[in-house]
Amino acid sequence: MSKKIRNMTDSNMLLSITIIVFLLMYIGAIIFQGKGFTKPQTFFNILNANAGLIILACAESLVMITGGIDISVGGMTALVSMCCAVYLDHHNGNVPVSMLIALLIGLAYGLVQGYLVAYLDIQPFIVSLAGMFFARGMTTIVNSDPFNVVNEQFVALKLTRINVPGMGSINKKGVYVNAYVEIGVIIAILIVILMFVMLRWTKLGRSFYAVGGNKQSALMLGINVKKTKFLSHLICSVLAGIGGYVYFLHVGSGAVTNGQGAEMNAIASSIIGGTMLTGGVGNIIGSFIGVLSLATIQNIVATAGLGEAWWTGITIAAMLCLFLVIQSVLMARKKKMMKK
Amino acid sequence: MIFDKKISFSVVLVMTLLLLAGCSGFLLGQDQGGSSDKGQQDEKSNRSVTIGLSQIGSESDWRMASTRSVQEAFSPGRGYYLIFDDAQQKQENQIKAIREFIDQGVDYIILDPMVETGWDSVLSEAKEAGIPVIVYDRRVDVKDESLYTCWIGSDFLLEGRRACGWLSDYLKDRGINQDINIVNIQGTLGASAQIGRSEALDEAVLAHSKWKLLAKESGDYTSAKGKEVMNDMLRRYGGIINVVYAENDNMAYGVIDAIEAAGYTIGADITKGEILVLSFDASKAGMELALDGMIAVDTECNPLYGPKLVEIIEKLEAGEKVEKETFIEEDQFSAVGYINSVKVEDTSYPVTYLTPEIMKEREY
Amino acid sequence: MSAKKNSLSDLFGKIVRQQIFIPIAALFILLLFNLIFDPGFFVITLGENSAGDPVLSGNLITVINMGSELAILAIGMTFVTAASGGQDISVGAAIAIAGSVLLRVLCGDNTRPAAGELQTSFLVAFIVSCIVAMAFGAFNGVLVSIFKIQPMVATLILYTAGRSIAAWINNNELPIISDPEFGYFGGFIPGIPVPTPVFIAIACMIVAALVLKFTNLGLYTQAVGINENSSRLNGLNPVFIKWLTFVILGLCVAVAALIKVSRLSSINYSVIAKDIEMDAILAVALGGNALSGGKFNLWASIIGAYVIQLLTTTLFKYEVPSDALPAYKAVVVILLVVFSAPTVREKLAHLKKSPAAKKGVA
Repeated sequence: MSKKIRNMTDSNMLLSITIIVFLLMYIGAIIFQGKGFTKPQTFFNILNANAGLIILACAESLVMITGGIDISVGGMTALVSMCCAVYLDHHNGNVPVSMLIALLIGLAYGLVQGYLVAYLDIQPFIVSLAGMFFARGMTTIVNSDPFNVVNEQFVALKLTRINVPGMGSINKKGVYVNAYVEIGVIIAILIVILMFVMLRWTKLGRSFYAVGGNKQSALMLGINVKKTKFLSHLICSVLAGIGGYVYFLHVGSGAVTNGQGAEMNAIASSIIGGTMLTGGVGNIIGSFIGVLSLATIQNIVATAGLGEAWWTGITIAAMLCLFLVIQSVLMARKKKMMKK
Repeated sequence: MIFDKKISFSVVLVMTLLLLAGCSGFLLGQDQGGSSDKGQQDEKSNRSVTIGLSQIGSESDWRMASTRSVQEAFSPGRGYYLIFDDAQQKQENQIKAIREFIDQGVDYIILDPMVETGWDSVLSEAKEAGIPVIVYDRRVDVKDESLYTCWIGSDFLLEGRRACGWLSDYLKDRGINQDINIVNIQGTLGASAQIGRSEALDEAVLAHSKWKLLAKESGDYTSAKGKEVMNDMLRRYGGIINVVYAENDNMAYGVIDAIEAAGYTIGADITKGEILVLSFDASKAGMELALDGMIAVDTECNPLYGPKLVEIIEKLEAGEKVEKETFIEEDQFSAVGYINSVKVEDTSYPVTYLTPEIMKEREY
Repeated sequence: MSAKKNSLSDLFGKIVRQQIFIPIAALFILLLFNLIFDPGFFVITLGENSAGDPVLSGNLITVINMGSELAILAIGMTFVTAASGGQDISVGAAIAIAGSVLLRVLCGDNTRPAAGELQTSFLVAFIVSCIVAMAFGAFNGVLVSIFKIQPMVATLILYTAGRSIAAWINNNELPIISDPEFGYFGGFIPGIPVPTPVFIAIACMIVAALVLKFTNLGLYTQAVGINENSSRLNGLNPVFIKWLTFVILGLCVAVAALIKVSRLSSINYSVIAKDIEMDAILAVALGGNALSGGKFNLWASIIGAYVIQLLTTTLFKYEVPSDALPAYKAVVVILLVVFSAPTVREKLAHLKKSPAAKKGVA
């Protein structure tokens, strides 16, 4: 056993813990909560509601692997959804252009934040903090009233459902209801796969790990550290733009409160998924599972009829605490073993 | 080193055990609730109705009184199992909660919607699953009316009109004929109560040539934000404000705080430079302020929906039809006196003169 | 002549390189901006509040009044930053907890006690809330110092749970205290025209100054922040010192919570001290302190806190709606950090030697 642990890489070990805990939790929910969790649609609903967050978590993980942090992704979600909503409804826009707007906002953010962090050496926390403030404030300046988008093209896209064959269930009236996922889920899963492949098998992907792990040795390996950092922020912000749009596609409204706390949820998911804030360690699949774990806890707490909203926050925090402590202890143990 | 390791391990062990204990306790407790619930359902003799309640949040006294009323009405003792979800002021959370209710296969869904629009898709899912949805307090604006079973709530426009009507009658009664500068501290933008109450004020300002609406800004129904917004307005307009139209009691509370801190006086005597505060909800705290004359008139917005909702669900269980729209009865309170009734569109509504005795009788 | 010019530019360079220069310069720029566009900004009037007591009012009073909590938090945050090289993002949530405890102890089960019907004295309630806040600080400290979790991540736990715990403590009720004396801490003591939070903030600063002067805390935190291993070799206990800074921050949180709750005589768990952690971290950064730990300047952080408040008040004066405020704040913050970034400053120093001298003369 100890040999096996020694041979596992950091990321693999953390990832396996995450997956095991997630599975245990879901099985526990099925056993104790019954009813709902046996239905596949419950799982798909978790995906539907969190497709945006999955993309944001991927974005966050990438920056964290490179040793940075980006707390502007939640604010960007609000900005993207408000800009697109205003464009679609108040200016009679069309959907492809609104997607372009989302991408452009992401690109602009990535260029500015990436430049400030990588080339001017300003702490990423401060840069993205300002980014968050800017996005939140700008959202109110664009439009302060929350509203639901009625643009037909958009609503049609929002309501598009992709049926998952064989996963449906029978409702109270005895009618078979198809299980479905929304378009956002497909996009999110594509991005997860893409990011996974990029980080694992491309030269660029490995250089992100190298820069996050140890800048000096990355330099010696001939990696352009500044450029790599810049790219990580650029990709993160563009992904946040896409994530913002997917979120927008799910909620269908422009509101200042959109994506509130999403940055912290994204960071928490990444951590639960085994990404370390010190950089160099992390796994996209882990972040994906991290989001699912968070959402499942929320779902369990909400449907347990505990009645009080505070339980959600407290349970998530307890779980986060548990994960962090396990991670910390296991890493410490492993270090000692390596020394021996 | 070994010592270190031991400590860290024991700490982890204790933490894990604590968490597990917490989880199992919570799951076991849940299991008991669930199994008794299922048991009752199996027996069929003593039916248990599962209800999902999606509440907006707990931002004000009013909302909390409303939640408590519904929770008490659907107690397990009466054969109900209520799943309550607090959406913390986000429609997104409410939609998520309704989906969870559908997945859990509840019998009824009770919804107090955060905003009016954006419910079509989730409500049609509920309809698809065969679960009746009862909307209360705020309204939903859906293309297909059959998506929800019925709605009960307040007539917010009427509430606003009654408040404006009172102001107009009061000014007439006192023979005040000067320009009236009004500021509107609005509720959460897009909420039915905000829309109705703001519309009534806009209407009244158009109808009275002397009334002027200086500014309107949202105080989000909270006292903290209300205070902040009022501070801002006092800084901008200072002493020329005559009337503050606060769209709920919590904000009125903040408004009064701000006015006093800035050194102005609150009262009904506009000619002496006092600032008159109008408010809505008639919560306990608000009524106390009204009794002191700090709030000139407090128009009630009844939060006690529990009994009404039970009535509706009992009817539905019995297979009876229910009215699509029902208004809940409401009152208007003032300790300023002078005005006994207010006329809105040819109907006369009484204004209750507020005394400490009335305060005692009210449970909220 | 040229020698003089050189020495002037040297002097200027020295001043510019001083850490405290950044926040002070920012403060002056903002004040100058107000002086040019609206000298009325500086007017302070002595008026009377509704109870007939004298109160000072004016924008500058608003700045030092409303900036108090932030300044107090900046003290604790600076220590945490210096020792651990990370930031505590849970202070806003911790304020909600401390405030909730304060009200719970004062009110007991009755959420609307009439004046004079409080369960205990303010002092007892405040001490309890201090203990609770310090305990939560200690919890964060344990995670950071013993388990070696990065501060931002460790405090993410309390950040997530804090407001929920605060609501839980009071059963989600929103107690309101009607005793006017409770409002003194966040308002005015009758007869004294200066807002009380100003005195509380000054008291905290004096305590901090005394601690720095008569103990080695400042030195130790810097040593731990710069190099943990070498500080251990020098006989310090880095684990304890890191832990201690979090406990100190907990105390600052309790004091800030007292002011916050007193201002409203009530609490709203989801909005009280919202985003204040971001402002507190910003104050530390504006003070020119490295967020990665090590050397710190407490006074620079405190001035940074007042700069943020001055900016807020100025923007309010120009009728920027409160929700749009962050956007303008962001622009100013970015400008400040860009100009204070070492790489940029080096470039500026290279390029603008002669203009710098001119500025020095002016």
